[in-house]
Amino acid sequence: MKRRGRGIACMWYPIGFTVSANPSAATVKVNEDGTATLLTGTVETGQGSLTVLAQIAAEELGVATDDVHVVSADTDGTPMDTGAIASRTTYVTGNAVRLAAEKAKQILFETAAPMLGVKPEQLEARDRNIQVKGFPQRNVAISVVAHRAQVVMGQPPIGSASWNPPTLAMDPETGQGKPFSTYVYATQIAEVDVDDETGEVEVLRIVAAHDCGTAINPMLVEGQVEGGISMGIGFALQEQILFDDAGRQINPNLTNYIMPTTLDMPEIKVDIVDSYDPTGPFGAKGVGEPTSVPTAAAILNAIHDAVGVRITSLPATAEKVLAAIKAKQAQQTKRIAAR
Amino acid sequence: MTDVTAVTMKLNGVTRTASAVPPETTLLALLRNQFNLTGAKLGCDVGDCGACTVIVDGNAVNACLMLAAQADGSDVLTIEGLATLERLHPLQKAFEDNASLQCGFCGPGVILSAKALLDENPDPTQQEIRDALSGNLCRCTGYTKMIEAVQVAARALRAKPDA
Repeated sequence: MKRRGRGIACMWYPIGFTVSANPSAATVKVNEDGTATLLTGTVETGQGSLTVLAQIAAEELGVATDDVHVVSADTDGTPMDTGAIASRTTYVTGNAVRLAAEKAKQILFETAAPMLGVKPEQLEARDRNIQVKGFPQRNVAISVVAHRAQVVMGQPPIGSASWNPPTLAMDPETGQGKPFSTYVYATQIAEVDVDDETGEVEVLRIVAAHDCGTAINPMLVEGQVEGGISMGIGFALQEQILFDDAGRQINPNLTNYIMPTTLDMPEIKVDIVDSYDPTGPFGAKGVGEPTSVPTAAAILNAIHDAVGVRITSLPATAEKVLAAIKAKQAQQTKRIAAR
Repeated sequence: MTDVTAVTMKLNGVTRTASAVPPETTLLALLRNQFNLTGAKLGCDVGDCGACTVIVDGNAVNACLMLAAQADGSDVLTIEGLATLERLHPLQKAFEDNASLQCGFCGPGVILSAKALLDENPDPTQQEIRDALSGNLCRCTGYTKMIEAVQVAARALRAKPDA
């Protein structure tokens, strides 16, 4: 019969390695029509990082995300980036983008200050305007300011910046140090049905609470979490590269390397924990890789809760789970017989 | 036995003929190499991944498993035939609005599997959507937002069937 169980798993994950140089850089150019162009070497792989970087530049400049044109991934024309790796893009590249946008904004402030009769530090950028803090009706459009900066002040509003999480050597004697700039945390809870006659495990529901700092784009964070959970489910129950004695992979295809389909995916609830990291751009950290870290552990704990067996090698295939259930039953029968 | 054959099909609403098609040519190869319709993707080429899904006479099929000659006389829809210059199909719009795709490689196949479903069943349950998309593998998204988008598009299409 089917037995239901719940399991929980927690994790932390490091963001922004500091054991070696880990820089990102960006250039932000404010155009005379009030739009901005962002140059970054980082690569979009579908996770939505260019959207997030455009949002960061837009927030700093007080314009809309759609106003920011992102030019990326061509290292002939954009700054080199350490890479779309290690869940670092929002945090490291995002900080570089924010600093570059801040520099361009400073030129806009210096240009607008005499136009509005205030000091640059009394200004803010919002709603496509440069305006006096506390007096938003005293404003001038960013397009006008950008044009004036270019053709009157002779100082085009362009900012370039780089950011590198401060590189810190480990203590050579103790091995202690601060190998990463910040950390993210998560808890996932899995609910499963285990058929104790076949060993088959069905994941019914996963609830995932993730601290990624302030979520710049909650919908993209959800997408990362849901995708990570699907990888975690494959890791827990299905996916295994099999080799023959000569070291050749015997399942180099999707017919018998089994990855999750729509039918394997449970109901998922994503909870983005309220959080703010002062070292991240607008409080953000990262979310990519951490999403698949706790899933398998939560599922295997749920299997234990359901049928009382500990599976200690992945994937927990039906054969493996059934063998463990039978071994446990045999042990119990022996105990009863011994009495 | 002839070496080549002619294949004529109604492709995205337009009658197209390929005059000299070798018999082993798959529908996918014909679409991509002869007609330059590269929306259907060459993924596994053995019918496991669904990235090559197109609609043939109303059915979602793996174009890598169908010979081009078998599609002779058929009505074939690829992802290129779904949107007009003016607007996206409601499914495409729902996928965009709900951030349903990430890398996007599986996207054309997923959307066409969903379209074949909605053409036949305008009000599917979540389980029916899962069944219809089960032949389309996605490594990025976990499918959750795709299923949500199909539900959104189904509602939009029921409200405005001609959209």
